Formats: sequence, C-alpha cells, structure tokens
Amino acid sequence: MNKKLLSMGYDVVAAADGESGLTMIKESRPDVVLLDLILPGINGFEVLERAKKDPETANIPVIILSNLGQSEDIEKGLKLGAKDFLVKAHFTPQEIINKLKAILD
Amino acid sequence: MYEEKPNFKETKEEALRRVRVALLNILEDTDEARKEAVNERNKTMAIVENLTDGILLLNSRSEIEIISPPIIDFFRKDKEAVVGKNIIELLNGEEFKTLKEALIDDKNKKIKIVYRQEASVGKRLDLEVSTVFLKEEMKEKGILIIFHDVTRDKLVERMKSEFVSISAHQLRTPLSAIKWTLRMVLDGDTGKLNAEQKDLLEKTYTSNERMIGLINDLLDVSRIEEGRFLYKQEMGQLEDVIKAVVESSQELLKMKKISLIVDIPKEKTPKVNIDKEKIGLAVQNLLENAAKYTPEGGSVHISLEKLETEVVFKIKDTGVGIPDSQQERIFTKFFRGDNVIRIETEGSGLGLYITRNIIDAHRGKIWFESKEGKGATFYFSLPFPKH
Repeated sequence: MNKKLLSMGYDVVAAADGESGLTMIKESRPDVVLLDLILPGINGFEVLERAKKDPETANIPVIILSNLGQSEDIEKGLKLGAKDFLVKAHFTPQEIINKLKAILD
Repeated sequence: MYEEKPNFKETKEEALRRVRVALLNILEDTDEARKEAVNERNKTMAIVENLTDGILLLNSRSEIEIISPPIIDFFRKDKEAVVGKNIIELLNGEEFKTLKEALIDDKNKKIKIVYRQEASVGKRLDLEVSTVFLKEEMKEKGILIIFHDVTRDKLVERMKSEFVSISAHQLRTPLSAIKWTLRMVLDGDTGKLNAEQKDLLEKTYTSNERMIGLINDLLDVSRIEEGRFLYKQEMGQLEDVIKAVVESSQELLKMKKISLIVDIPKEKTPKVNIDKEKIGLAVQNLLENAAKYTPEGGSVHISLEKLETEVVFKIKDTGVGIPDSQQERIFTKFFRGDNVIRIETEGSGLGLYITRNIIDAHRGKIWFESKEGKGATFYFSLPFPKH
C-alpha cells in the first residue's frame, strides 16, 4: 500500500502501533489518516477516539481500513468520527486511493 | 297440651341431637378442608423450594411473602433480610439499577407488566424477568416475579460471536494481502507482463476473490443460525435500494452483454421497514444470479408493483432456468443446480439461502417460476405498515 501511494506522489508516514500512530498524527498533521483496527497495544477504535477528542487533531479525516467488518464495528467506527470504513479484502489499492482522493478534494 | 309436652321434649332433644351431629359434621369437614389446605401448601412449598428459577411472591402491598432459594444467590441476601420487606428495598443499589428499571414504574410506584425481559445485575448476572399478576375474582391478590438465569447462555453467545468475527478477520488478512499484491502486479505496477503470465495471475486473482466472497457468505450464515441476522431496520424506499444495486452491477451486465430493463411505477411504492444493507444484498444476489445464468446477449427485466398490503419485486431472466427435479432444493444451503455447475464452477450455493433468510426475517415471502431452458422469474414481497 505504501509503495503504491509513494509511486503516485503522496508523502507517507507509517506507524506500527496505536500509541506511536497517535503521536505521529499529532506531530506530522497528515491530510488524511488510514487506520487499521487490530493493532498491537491500543486498538484502532481507541486511536480514533483519542485523535478526535484532541482539538489539534480532531479535524483530520480518518479512513478505517480493516478486515473486521461486522455491522457493529462499522457503525462504531463511523460514530466515533471516521469518514469511511473500508474492509481491506473488499477493495483494491487503487479503489482505496480513489476514496482517499475523494476525501482530499 | 299434655300431649304436646312429650312431643316438644322429644323434638327438643332430637333437635339438639341433630344440631350436635350437624356441628360434628361441620367440624369434621372443616378439619378435612384444613388438612387438605395444609397438604396443598406443603406441596406448593416443596415445589418452590426446589425451583431452579428465582421466584418472588408479593402481596398486594408489594411486600415479599415467599421466595425460592435462587433468590438468595441472585440478590446475595438471607431469607430473613428479604421476606416481609418491600420489593423496592430489595432492588436498592447500583447493581440492581437495570433490574429496577425493568420491573418498577417509579412514577406510580407500581410493578410493571413484564414478559421475559433481560436485565443484568452488575456484571455478574444476566437475568430474564417476567411478572404474573394473580387475581381472584377481579381483585389483585398478589404478584409473582420470576427471574430466569441466562448468564451462561449470554456468555456462550458472546464467545461464539467473537470467535466468528475474529476468524473472519484472520482469514481475510492473508487473502487481502494476496488480493493487493496480485492486483498491483496485474496492473503493471511491477513491470510489464506477458499474456500467459497475465492469464495465470488473473485466474489466481479470481479464485482469491471467490474465497473472500465465501467468507462473507459464511459469516452471514453464521449470523442467520444465531438468529442475529438483521442489524437495523428503518423505513425506506425499495426503489432506492434497487437503483443502488443496479448501478453497482453495471460491470457484470456489460461484460456479458446482458440488457437490463427496470420497470419502476410512476407513483412511489409505500415505504417499507427494512434493513437497507440486507435487502440490498438480497436484490444483488437475485440480479447476480440472473446475470450469471443467462447466456451472452440475454436480458433481465426488473419490476416493482404495489399490491394491497405488500410491495412485490420481480426479476425475470432469459437464462438456463431451473429443472423441475431441482426446484424443491433451490433455497437450501450449498445447493447448486446441476445445469449451472456445468456452466460455471464458481458459486458457493449460499446466495439464495441467505436471500431467503433475509426476506423471511423481514416477514416477506420469496418464490419463483421457472422451466429448464426457458429462464427463471424470482419474486419477493415485503409487507408495508397500514396507515
């Protein structure tokens, strides 16, 4: 995924777990966040909740990208403020980038 | 007068004797009745003492008269601390908040009419509560409250649901990795491919997609069997659902050069109470089947009709149809007709099973007409609420 984004000219920073992800969001103020849910340490929902609670990062759009896909999970994610919830196995990298583009515009 | 005296004496004694006998009989009957009442009470108490559900018998002042042993466990209070007390006192405390809400109308200080409502006691118990109002000749004699312990059932339900959700996730993870990497190679992101390479990799990609689809189907089946299938129901317009599905199916139809005609009545059909996502799945399944089993150049015709109490969706194709001998099993799990397996080896056989369950869950009906070689027409109806 990183490769594809980089090859299309986007700047990408990546974090391997929730806590460092949160720090990264705060420090680098990305234009959009792609968030997985199953993470080592705190899970994606918590990252989302905390990012939205912090006034400095609350306005950064977040797209959840996860292989969890139960209706409850999707509703929870959207309620917590995610702009979209995409099940990884159902979208190609290009389709995801198209969704990203739509949000960035 | 002298003749009367012996008669009077006799009558008086006889009368007294008769009264004595009558009184003795009455005493005997009363004693019998008393013994029988004690017997009945003993029988009842024996039953109460051995019940596995928690039972409270309240008198007309909402005071607790009889309890069954599980009450002591549920409420962690001794018999002495419970019997004679008002039920509201028993339900005091943070632990019992939901239980109190379920049972007691706080404003009027009355016990509610409850049937099998779930309420929890802190984090340790899940109970199913019912109330029975006892009346004798129109007067309220008391209230029976029944507490059924469903803690273990709920736990097993939660564990199973979690297991299915995590399994789906674990299965999807490697499959999505395969999907993405194959897609990138096929799209030329790693360099040009020759025709043979492209062909082989496309086949791998398709198989992978099939597995992803199968996981979704199995997840749906699992939820159907648990009875937790519909997620959220709201009033919605069937036309909107059909429009969305038709839009997303354009690729498939174009690929097979199948023409689609959609007949929507000018006047909007009444709104129906639906889980939009699931009805969308049902329509999608029917449309995909119509397209899959219709040879190139064929046609599919969708129409919507308002009847007196229901809206009927109809989809007709010019495909291979369903042979008579197989029609009975069309909606069963994993069933695929012999004539279609030959055309297309893909397909889980779960689509119609899931679709039928979706329609059933909406209290609708689903049926079809078909002759082998002459296409198939599928219908489903959904009731709309009367105004």
